[in-house]
Amino acid sequence: MSSRSNQFIIVIDDDPVMRLSCLKILKKEGYEVETFEDGLQGLARIQQRKPDLLVVDLKMPKIGGMEVIAKVHEIDPMICIIVITGYATIGTAVEAMKTGAYDFLPKPFTPDELRIIVERGMERTLLARKSIELKKEKENLERRFVTFVSHQLQSPLSVVQQYLEVLRHLKESPNKEELQQEWIDRSISRISELKEIVKDWLAISRIDSGNLSECVEPVLVPPLFENILEGYEPSIIEKNIDTGLDLPKNVSPVAGQKECLKMLFENLINNAIKYNKQNGKLAIKAVEEEKNVIFIIEDSGIGIPHDKLESIFDEFCRVKNDRTKDIPGTGLGLAICSKIVKEFGGTITVKTKLNIGSSFKVTLPKYKG
Amino acid sequence: MSEKAKILIIDDDVDFRVSIRTLLQAEGYDTVEAESGKQGLEKIKEETPDVILLDIMMETMDEGYLLNQVIKFQKQFEDFKSIPVLMVSSIQEDPLSRFPAATGQVDMITPDYYFSKPVDIPRFLETLKNILKK
Repeated sequence: MSSRSNQFIIVIDDDPVMRLSCLKILKKEGYEVETFEDGLQGLARIQQRKPDLLVVDLKMPKIGGMEVIAKVHEIDPMICIIVITGYATIGTAVEAMKTGAYDFLPKPFTPDELRIIVERGMERTLLARKSIELKKEKENLERRFVTFVSHQLQSPLSVVQQYLEVLRHLKESPNKEELQQEWIDRSISRISELKEIVKDWLAISRIDSGNLSECVEPVLVPPLFENILEGYEPSIIEKNIDTGLDLPKNVSPVAGQKECLKMLFENLINNAIKYNKQNGKLAIKAVEEEKNVIFIIEDSGIGIPHDKLESIFDEFCRVKNDRTKDIPGTGLGLAICSKIVKEFGGTITVKTKLNIGSSFKVTLPKYKG
Repeated sequence: MSEKAKILIIDDDVDFRVSIRTLLQAEGYDTVEAESGKQGLEKIKEETPDVILLDIMMETMDEGYLLNQVIKFQKQFEDFKSIPVLMVSSIQEDPLSRFPAATGQVDMITPDYYFSKPVDIPRFLETLKNILKK
């Protein structure tokens, strides 16, 4: 097996016959193997190059197996240790396992016994190592995320403070009045942006805290649509957007929570308006299925670039380009949508075509009384 | 100074660029701006600034670090690598502690100078003056 060629085993045993047979058996299995006749030589090698697994005899002259185990453990506790022992020393073998050996093999043993015990030990070591790597990677991601969030929250504050400090520093300048007015406006807009981020961020924490699904209630979605659209009337008129509602009569109530579902559809409708074109279209549909109700929010807006599709439901993901740079947004809206939908056992998907528009499909389970 | 020193501001936050540009111009400097790392590299070649102000998190989290690498080490920037780079970021953290951990993949080099946003104006201007004296 070639995949084992990078799995490295050291065998320490004072008995030359044992060393040779271990070497033969394990090499045949595809492992890389080195053997040593005493603990000191073996330890010296382990210092240089750590094996994945160590096979060590307990009873040896110079330094004994127990001492070797303790030292190897100090070097790297991840090295899997298998102890070979005569019948007379099984008590010591148990002792060895208490100090960190993985398993023991009583002498005499068959090649198969050695193969199996080594294979098991190796598997366990590699798995443990993999899980440590994954954990590290996860921690790293989390740390990066915290850095990112704090950046998003601090940026608006930093620039507002910078404006104020520069204004204070510029004692007299001919256009100070004008600057002041402009910068006050900019500061207000950045503070509003921060307030939106904090609001969305708190919404996310509330959803993440996870007890939303405990207070599921029947929610009739169509009145929510009307209510939301009313709120957006000024922007709909300003952009002259043609809104169409196509809802069957008596749409079944879905399992959710009114405020959350309102937030969900508000985010989707808000996007459908702000990323829409002048004189664009916004269509809202509902379709009843046996167990679910499907809601479709479709716009004729700028669409989502393909390379961003995978991450649009991630926190703080925003498509940055010339068409979006003047559109305010926290980058949290779709993350909120996705979390809410998941919380109530539904799904959210998107179909999009650049410059043609996007269509978000939300599937929510019907309320079972 | 017989000629005004030219400072390139690379930052994706327009408000930061506006406030710093105003400050620097009032202090008698020339300014050039770039709103992305890519644009920044172009401006370095076009304008040969005397100092570069470089934001860290732009399109990606480590854009500033990567840009610093490019300026300091890439052959095509050989002529520009001695331009002092002053990094700025909103992250309130010890810069030395975060630079090595930035990506874990790229060897990060520490910037020539580091300031957190908002920059402390007297210290910032003092640093600039000292850099330009050299």
